[in-house]
Amino acid sequence: MLAMILAGGQGTRLGKLTRFTAKPAVPFGGRYRIIDFALSNCSNSGVNTVGVVTQYQPLELNAHIQNGASWGLAEKNAGVTVLQPYASSEGEKWFMGTAHAIYQNIAYIDLYSPKYVLILSGDHIYKMDYEAMLAYHKAQHASLTVGVLPVSMQEATRFGIMNTDETNRIIQFEEKPKHPKSNLASMGIYIFNWQTLKKYLTDSYSTDGRMEDFGKDVIPAYLSHNEPTYAYAFHGYWKDVGTIQSLWQANMEFLEPDNPLDIDDRNWRIYSRNDALPPMFVTSTAKVHRSMIVDGCYVAGEVDHSILSQNVKIGTGSVIRDSMIMPNAVIGKNVLIDHAIVGERAIIGDGGQVVGTPDDIAVVGFQEVLGRMEEDD
Amino acid sequence: MRKQDMCAIIDLNEPSEALAPLTDERPVGTMPFAGRYRLVDFPLSAISNADIRTVGIFLPKSSRSVEDHVRSGQAWDMDTITGGVFTFPYVATRDYDDPTNIHRYYDNYLTFLIKSKSEYVFITGARHVSNIDVSALLQFHQASPNPITAVYRSVPTATANPEQEAFVLDADNEVVDFAPSKDVKERVSNHTKPISMQMYLTRTDYLIELLSRVQNSGKFIRLPQLIHQEITTAQANAFEYTGYCATIHDIPSYFQANMDMLDEEKFHSLLFSQRAIYTKNKNEAPTYFAPEADVFSSLLGTGGRVYGKLRDSVLFRNVYVDHDAQVLHSIIMQGSRIGNGADVEYVIMDKGCVVGPDVKLIGTPEAPIVLKKGTTILDQSAAEEVLQS
Repeated sequence: MLAMILAGGQGTRLGKLTRFTAKPAVPFGGRYRIIDFALSNCSNSGVNTVGVVTQYQPLELNAHIQNGASWGLAEKNAGVTVLQPYASSEGEKWFMGTAHAIYQNIAYIDLYSPKYVLILSGDHIYKMDYEAMLAYHKAQHASLTVGVLPVSMQEATRFGIMNTDETNRIIQFEEKPKHPKSNLASMGIYIFNWQTLKKYLTDSYSTDGRMEDFGKDVIPAYLSHNEPTYAYAFHGYWKDVGTIQSLWQANMEFLEPDNPLDIDDRNWRIYSRNDALPPMFVTSTAKVHRSMIVDGCYVAGEVDHSILSQNVKIGTGSVIRDSMIMPNAVIGKNVLIDHAIVGERAIIGDGGQVVGTPDDIAVVGFQEVLGRMEEDD
Repeated sequence: MRKQDMCAIIDLNEPSEALAPLTDERPVGTMPFAGRYRLVDFPLSAISNADIRTVGIFLPKSSRSVEDHVRSGQAWDMDTITGGVFTFPYVATRDYDDPTNIHRYYDNYLTFLIKSKSEYVFITGARHVSNIDVSALLQFHQASPNPITAVYRSVPTATANPEQEAFVLDADNEVVDFAPSKDVKERVSNHTKPISMQMYLTRTDYLIELLSRVQNSGKFIRLPQLIHQEITTAQANAFEYTGYCATIHDIPSYFQANMDMLDEEKFHSLLFSQRAIYTKNKNEAPTYFAPEADVFSSLLGTGGRVYGKLRDSVLFRNVYVDHDAQVLHSIIMQGSRIGNGADVEYVIMDKGCVVGPDVKLIGTPEAPIVLKKGTTILDQSAAEEVLQS
């Protein structure tokens, strides 16, 4: 099985955090970037060939993924390939939608002639065994298996909902239904029999070219052609971090020692590309409670219920509370940061204040500079 | 400089008896340091930062930990198409009664040096923890008259270890001999003594010539002694290293060097300079500080969990400090566990140790308690037993 991770999204609702980077490259939990979860799940599930489809601001994503060695994916005749849109004799190949992005990369997938293709999105926080899902797909003799998450009926109105029969076969798909008939929300995770999917895509693009999106176009076509399509329910921690609020919320949940994501589970590790940095230094003026800190950090202030990512500096007299600080941010002296997300490489000058509320999280953007540092003593 | 112009030899055969039991299963070169590193990371990073991509590592008797740590050398960019890490196995001294073994000893060096196609070779060990600029050393060497350059640091006479090897310098600041520091005159200008860091730089063809000459004579002289001899018969340029340096030769010096890293100036000078220190990467989760955690003046690796009190201590990866436990002035290595209410002061705990609830282990700054790898102490009587032995 070969995996295709769709990592082209801009994540517009993450505002200033994704102005210069793609959503899957947004830092999470102190040590990770969002795409690490999908990549690590692939590695842990024995999926060793992964195409990462990028489009929007791919620089950081490229720098992060490199050859995939950080996830153990740099093997011979396998590995991670970053797939970007390109021009060809047929014209430019910008990706118009999720399914169109796969269509544009048929040549890449065919290089490995896989029997199954796993489609993932690069912007969810979860741990999932794709091998178990494949076993289910094979057992059902399915043409398509859709990963679904049981949600509450109220929430169901916000998702694409799969209505199934008693054998879990999907009989109907409804996008954000007003009156949901089921609570099985699509996770944007699909296993397709490659030859069948390829035929649907090539047939479509040689005629009307309407197969742009998996949810809107491909699944309805599969259902109307009676392709055996099954739902595979996932019962674990799963979080879409598409908004500032949900990104902050997921980070705060990550802080809880009994978080169901269980990041300490050594049998299902989440890998990431890490720089070699010195150990974290908690100085004699620091106070740290209910927090997570990683290597390269220098903490001289107070940190309460917050996450500090790699290489973050916190000056003396500063207070960081209920916040998430992204890599390489520098926080001066006597700064107050409360209910906030501070973007990568942001600089908050001495005496600065970034204060949000639980319902309105304050954001300092990627590389944003607020105020200035006084002369170092 | 092209990447092939210089190669390096790291000799990990260094005295380790005084560091037992920490060196029972490892050489000085792979002793854990400052919450994250192994001592060999410092020479490997120094040569990597000088664009050296070819290194010969002469392995000590217990080499498993070296192989496990260095692997392909990828962490230091040594896994390139032109260079690489070349390891040479340990051979017991007694085996050098056999002439074929003597021949092979020199062949190991010669093969490595000839194949490196390098112009210069940097020779070092791992017990002098420092962050040396090898490119600057090369420039100094190229501008100096003698075929060998030796590296020293200035140590105030009052704090110099009397037995440590020092340079005897002539009026032109050239090395003419070696002697224990107590027998070397101090420099009047700053009351310091030039302590040898046992690092040398020379032309590769010069070293090849030197080694071939001894090989043909049939005598057995180890490379470090050979360089010594050569320097005392001719003389060498003396290059002064001015950054942080600690020589790890016994338990107190090892303890002190780790505690030094809690001094911000020393920490930054060694670990946060322009020349980064690289090490094998591990994927650990962030370290969790509980609501009741009480931590200051400490270094911590990732993957840990802290519920108790921590002062003036160095914790490596994946260490748990439980509720009401306190860890003061201690070095706790990877994977160790400190139980509820335990009291640990002036202790060096090797990897994977377990200290049970309410156990008290109190050492002194001069003689910290050392727990050997994997020691489990479940109660106070077990603690007394361990302290007796």
